[in-house]
Amino acid sequence: MMLKNIRRNLIGSLVIVLGTMVLVPVVIFVWSILAFLDAATDEKSKNFKGIVTERWRLPSQMPFAYAASLSDGAASKPGDVKPEDSMTWQFYGGTLDPEKRTRENSLFAIATEPRKLCTMMDELDTLPPEEAAKLDEAIQEMERNRQAIIMGQDRLAAVNKRVGERIKLYGINYRDLDLELEIVGTFPEGRYDNTAAINRDYLLAALDAYERQTGKPHPLADKTLNLVWLRVPDSEAFAQVAGQILASPNYTSPAVKFETAASGIASFLDAYRDLIWGMRWLLAPALLFTLALVISNAISISVRERQTELAVLKVLGFRPWQIMVLVLGEASLVGLLAGLCSAGATFATVNLVFGGFKFPIAFFGAFFIPAEALAWGVGVGLLTALLGSVMPAWTASRIRVSEVFAKVA
Amino acid sequence: MLKDLTLNVPEGDFLGLMGPSGSGKTTLLNLIAGLDKPSEGQVWVGDERISSMTESQLARWRTRHVGFIFQFYHLMPVLTAYENVELPLLLLPLSARQRRDQVLTALDLVGLSDRIRHRPGQLSGGQQQRVGIARAIVTDPTLIVADEPTGDLDARSADEILDLLDELRRSLHKTILLVTHDPRAAQRADRVLHLEKGQLVEQPEVLHEAAGARS
Repeated sequence: MMLKNIRRNLIGSLVIVLGTMVLVPVVIFVWSILAFLDAATDEKSKNFKGIVTERWRLPSQMPFAYAASLSDGAASKPGDVKPEDSMTWQFYGGTLDPEKRTRENSLFAIATEPRKLCTMMDELDTLPPEEAAKLDEAIQEMERNRQAIIMGQDRLAAVNKRVGERIKLYGINYRDLDLELEIVGTFPEGRYDNTAAINRDYLLAALDAYERQTGKPHPLADKTLNLVWLRVPDSEAFAQVAGQILASPNYTSPAVKFETAASGIASFLDAYRDLIWGMRWLLAPALLFTLALVISNAISISVRERQTELAVLKVLGFRPWQIMVLVLGEASLVGLLAGLCSAGATFATVNLVFGGFKFPIAFFGAFFIPAEALAWGVGVGLLTALLGSVMPAWTASRIRVSEVFAKVA
Repeated sequence: MLKDLTLNVPEGDFLGLMGPSGSGKTTLLNLIAGLDKPSEGQVWVGDERISSMTESQLARWRTRHVGFIFQFYHLMPVLTAYENVELPLLLLPLSARQRRDQVLTALDLVGLSDRIRHRPGQLSGGQQQRVGIARAIVTDPTLIVADEPTGDLDARSADEILDLLDELRRSLHKTILLVTHDPRAAQRADRVLHLEKGQLVEQPEVLHEAAGARS
């Protein structure tokens, strides 16, 4: 009877379906971003990466002279712990057109050791064999040709270039430091769609060349090192390396700190704290509340229209709780199915058709809908349907038969 | 609404209730069927004091003991005739096969075996009322309560329904309470009670007419 009533009350059911299908994707978007950020800021206990940054400035601008010793975790005496692996980052922003700089003709590149791209970069160190082989080919080319650049696919499309072409980047943060690069490959689709990587040796050589040509060092020559990543096996090793760096006299001007990647990301996200808080505690609940209200309204109308039928059910012997279950069941079924369909459609459209959705928060590029979103959709659809239909269901169970039939008479 | 009212209905009796609008007929019916509770006094059906039952207990009691026939049939429009008649049986611990047997028996008794898959919208008024009657008797209740069962029917359909009620009373020996404005319907009853401003008045002349008609 539930299914037949749903079909019969088509407009009411449609209202619930439409409301769910519009609001569930928005909730999924919000939760996908929050889930990703939560995962990024979640502390791990084993095999995690730490970041060395400037203690008092963000973004960090450390001298490159720090790189070698920091890569060893400031280990200086027997018994000191060295990291298992390390990676330096220098950020270079450049544009293809200095006269008319736009978002599309600009890019942000990470200058690093090419080999570290596949050993230290999140997700690039765990690629499937085919993608790993492709990236490795590009890395090998970058090792042979220090003027090589590997680009994210979206960024490549935005600047309207292809693999094999040459580009000239005019420095944005490194004023008057222009780089001529050859595109040798792309990152796999996903997290690095809007990123690029270049060989740090080329950037360092360009800084040297600048000094030779102008007779003075580039203003950023001694501030070129932005991040140092260190991989440690466990939290004990992390604590030891942190102690070594803190105790070392080599990092005083500027002072540095060593924190977990999660903590580092969390610090970086501090600027977005209010936005994230608003998304988590205002936007998502507001959406759920709105959907529940829409459903409540639709179900209330349906209950009012079916008062006589519900009264007849009571006469036949249906107990109040059974009437309540009938109303709750109808709404829940519609909400559940609509939520599932909506979540499935969102997952397929965003991930497979659009390759993620762009939400420019911090340095993160595209966000993807996780597989858990299917459960979220079902949960949101079901929960809001239940919440929205509780009051109308209660009203239905409290129908006074004699009053209903007196009105009918 | 009802004042100082005492009424005994022997088992197997066919009792008619008449009276002007607002006299309390439906209220009395609702009390007997367990749809309302008296503000004072008691209501006994068989050896059960229904006036002291909770709402849930009353619902359970009604399923087993009361068959209600409505003036406007009140069938579920989304269900077929079969499914409408089956509704009360869903509340009883019966297997699907048992339910099927009882539904088909009830529909056969009212002469609608060939309409089991029809929805109310596909049935005439008389046929819908027959489905209503089948639904009322399918649980083999102690008491059948009919509130103006012919009120929405033409004369011919009304007669058919009344003939059916007569037949059911004879074959199933049910106690029937009939509220009606229709004197022809009232004539079918063993006795007729008249309600005036919430009080009962028995009308012997109606009883004699009914006896005369049967003989």
